[in-house]
Amino acid sequence: MRESTKMLLHYITGILMIITGLIHLLANNEPNIGKLITSNVYFYLANMGIFLAALLYHAFNGVRVILIELVPDTCWTKLIGWAILLIGIAAYIVGIQVLLMALGLI
Amino acid sequence: MMEQSSIDLWKPVKVVKLRVYKYNPKKDFFPEWKEYEIEVSRGTTILDALLRIKEEIDPSLSFRYSCGQALCGSCAMMVNGRQMLVCRTRVLEVAHNRDFIELRPLDNFSVIRDLVGDFTPFFEKHRAVKPWIIRKDVEELENPTGEYRQTIEEYARYYQFTDCLKCGACYSACPTVATDHEYLGPQALAQAYRYMVDSRDDGLDERIAIVDSDHGCWRCHFATSCSDVCPKYVDPGQGIQLLKRLIVRRKFGFRPHKPAEVLPSKIGEVKRR
Ligand code: SF4
Ligand code: SF4
Ligand code: FES
Repeated sequence: MRESTKMLLHYITGILMIITGLIHLLANNEPNIGKLITSNVYFYLANMGIFLAALLYHAFNGVRVILIELVPDTCWTKLIGWAILLIGIAAYIVGIQVLLMALGLI
Repeated sequence: MMEQSSIDLWKPVKVVKLRVYKYNPKKDFFPEWKEYEIEVSRGTTILDALLRIKEEIDPSLSFRYSCGQALCGSCAMMVNGRQMLVCRTRVLEVAHNRDFIELRPLDNFSVIRDLVGDFTPFFEKHRAVKPWIIRKDVEELENPTGEYRQTIEEYARYYQFTDCLKCGACYSACPTVATDHEYLGPQALAQAYRYMVDSRDDGLDERIAIVDSDHGCWRCHFATSCSDVCPKYVDPGQGIQLLKRLIVRRKFGFRPHKPAEVLPSKIGEVKRR
């Protein structure tokens, strides 16, 4: 993947985080909207699933950028990229599991 | 009041202390600071002062210069901690309210000797972005039949970036270069942009592959310290942002320009008349 694609995703996930985060906050704090959103558990789950994915991508890509600037060696750059990707996927699986448990779906 | 004659400009007006970085990595264990006191007039530039020190006080002092008129870019160094061309900076301009001026080589360059930095990585990065016109019509380039047509608007798009002296001031001020030694740097990236938007150039995709890389334009944090110190107001920071936009637009299929066509030469007609 070209660096521009990764960075474009970085910006898009930043915006997604604001939107889905806002929905999440409203669901918890604004009773009328809260009812609307939490009435459908799958909508809530999808919102949180997207929020978590965007958050993890944005955060881990940020860490990757910091690391490849600190260790500017081509071999390390690749290794850092793959390591961060695997850790990110593992964190997402754990996060989704916690979410499903909290919603009483598993 | 008496008219001030131009001769008065060269009368000594102040004694200034120059604190200069001295280091010969081949011989010295540690760098050291040396102080020189010299009389300056209103017109004395830092380069004049350095030349005088070299002639009259310390012949071993090393620094680099060539044109003496802010055109070649070889005399850039740190003056009181800021990147400047010393041939166009007057001593009194930077000496007010201080009793000394501090001179040291540019940051982010390894020192060859005293005030002279090693520009090899800097020029290698400049070369890496292919700073020349790339054309598909090689035959036309080798045996020109005319000139490439370019409108004033097309010229204005890259004009600002043609002023770059390759002085290294921006590269030296960049915090990303300081941590990431593979980062292409503001000068090379701004030059890549300069050629990529030139309507005579066909090398857009070739250059995107180089600048859209792990240590390419996306590593720029847009702090614009580069633009802040550029002595020619090239604004390389802006160049990098425009480059990012260009790459994103290219992803969605936009090309910045149609390649320039060749205008048949008029030289023959003029001769015939
Ligand atoms: S962009 Fe400015 S500071 Fe950088 S090398 Fe060119 S002239 Fe010097
Ligand atoms: S704007 Fe980019 S290139 Fe310029 S100093 Fe900042 S990080 Fe470096
Ligand atoms: S000596 Fe050429 S720019 Fe200063």
